[in-house]
Amino acid sequence: MTHPIIRFDHATFGFPGTVALEDISLSIPESEFVGVIGPNGSGKTTLCRAVLGLMAPMSGTLRVLDCACEELRCHHRALIGYLPQKGMLDRNFPVTVLEAVMMGRYGALGLFRRPSGKDRDIARQALTQVGMDHHRDSALGALSGGQQQRVFIARALAQQPRILLLDEPTTGLDLTAQHSVVELIQQLHHELKLTILMITHDINMIRSRVDRLVLLKTKLFAAGPPQDVLKPEILSQVYGKELVITDKDFIIVEDYHHHH
Amino acid sequence: MLELLAYDFMQRSLLAAALVGSVCSVIGVFVVLRGLAFAGAGTAHAAFAGVALAYLLGLPPLSLAIVFGLATVWITGWVEEKGRMKLDVSIGILYTATMALAILFLGLMKTYNPEVYGYLFGSVLSVTSEELLTIGGLSIAVLGTILLLSKELYFIAFDQEMAAASGVPARQIFYLLLTLVALTVVIALKTVGAILVFAMILIPASTAYQLTHSLTQMTLYSMLIGIFCAVTGVLLSYAFDLPSGPSIVLLATSLFFLAVCCSPKRLHRIQAE
Repeated sequence: MTHPIIRFDHATFGFPGTVALEDISLSIPESEFVGVIGPNGSGKTTLCRAVLGLMAPMSGTLRVLDCACEELRCHHRALIGYLPQKGMLDRNFPVTVLEAVMMGRYGALGLFRRPSGKDRDIARQALTQVGMDHHRDSALGALSGGQQQRVFIARALAQQPRILLLDEPTTGLDLTAQHSVVELIQQLHHELKLTILMITHDINMIRSRVDRLVLLKTKLFAAGPPQDVLKPEILSQVYGKELVITDKDFIIVEDYHHHH
Repeated sequence: MLELLAYDFMQRSLLAAALVGSVCSVIGVFVVLRGLAFAGAGTAHAAFAGVALAYLLGLPPLSLAIVFGLATVWITGWVEEKGRMKLDVSIGILYTATMALAILFLGLMKTYNPEVYGYLFGSVLSVTSEELLTIGGLSIAVLGTILLLSKELYFIAFDQEMAAASGVPARQIFYLLLTLVALTVVIALKTVGAILVFAMILIPASTAYQLTHSLTQMTLYSMLIGIFCAVTGVLLSYAFDLPSGPSIVLLATSLFFLAVCCSPKRLHRIQAE
């Protein structure tokens, strides 16, 4: 196994009186594509915030890029490309696609330094990688949800990151857009050899694409290759419903299976 | 009209108006985009309470205006950050409390002091050379800081959490923005007054917001609109013997409604529907 780029060692996260994630031990080697799944409130977003250095462990340790996460400085954070959960974007917010992607360069540039032609080239290249360069002068608010997600992925890529953290990148998108965004992420993983942590509810969409799945329910319930984690007995314990895997390898709730 | 420019007081007034128009309209871009509109209003009233106390204690008026303004804007930021209470509620409380303090300080003065009321309603035509120097110095400081940190300010206005996650010291930049808002209010206090300064921060930026899809263009348009309204407002107020503050603000308001009617964004939306 290559050197871990992210390493949790008995790490517990939360706020005084509330534990969001308990006793997590997990090593993620460089260039691995990891899917993080679990029901609502299982600590998936907490895991994301912890890796970003926005939350320190209450006990145990978390090391990211060979640095304790509570000591992550701005230049470390700039190496982690982050796509937050899709919020409501003000459609009238005056920002062009290229301006939004250029923001990905700001952390790495540091204070007082103006973006150069090279930064602009990096941003344009990131837009090309997500297939959006022809939209660079469009208003961000005028794009569809799927196109906006592509732009935000380009912003993360413009950071020239080593780790890509994606928090439910397909939520709120129609089926075709969901599929094309996941395909794009898989393609970027192959081309750029990025370490990717993708939080999602869509197990069926990512099961064949990730190297490893991490199943959370406040604790680390299971971690391993998808076929080892996606077993009906494990899933039903975590989701509290009888889940079945159909003959086409789709995971569905049992009630639905009976009625159809 | 040209002979007006020969008067010293008119030169000072127009220069002060242009400076105030540019600073207010540029900081206004970040205030509007970051959703801090009412923080500006609260700060303006707090700064006026500072002026009233300074007159009561015999201190330079702008010194306590800065102290009161900064205290209010920092408390506002802290409350928003901690999420302990809704921002509109906390600003509402601070806004009225500082206004009550101002009225209390005015009440404690034994005689009517027209200079204090000049800070409430604005009196650009009576700006002195010393005041112009203060306005000029503070304007250069505020605009220079914005120029140096514009990329970080744009980023936190767009998405503060994202900015923090990608390595921008977002929290520090947010407090710096609040500090710049307080300084801007103090700069504009004498020219447009505590009641109307907030309009000068809000209206040119909101007008520019209607006209463009680009952050840099919005800043440029806002600045041009701010300077145009401030300078033209002063000339109109002199020509028609009107109070200067309301002349500037009402001119800006007219432009705002014109921009809403002709907004390319709005027209585009209507066409799309």
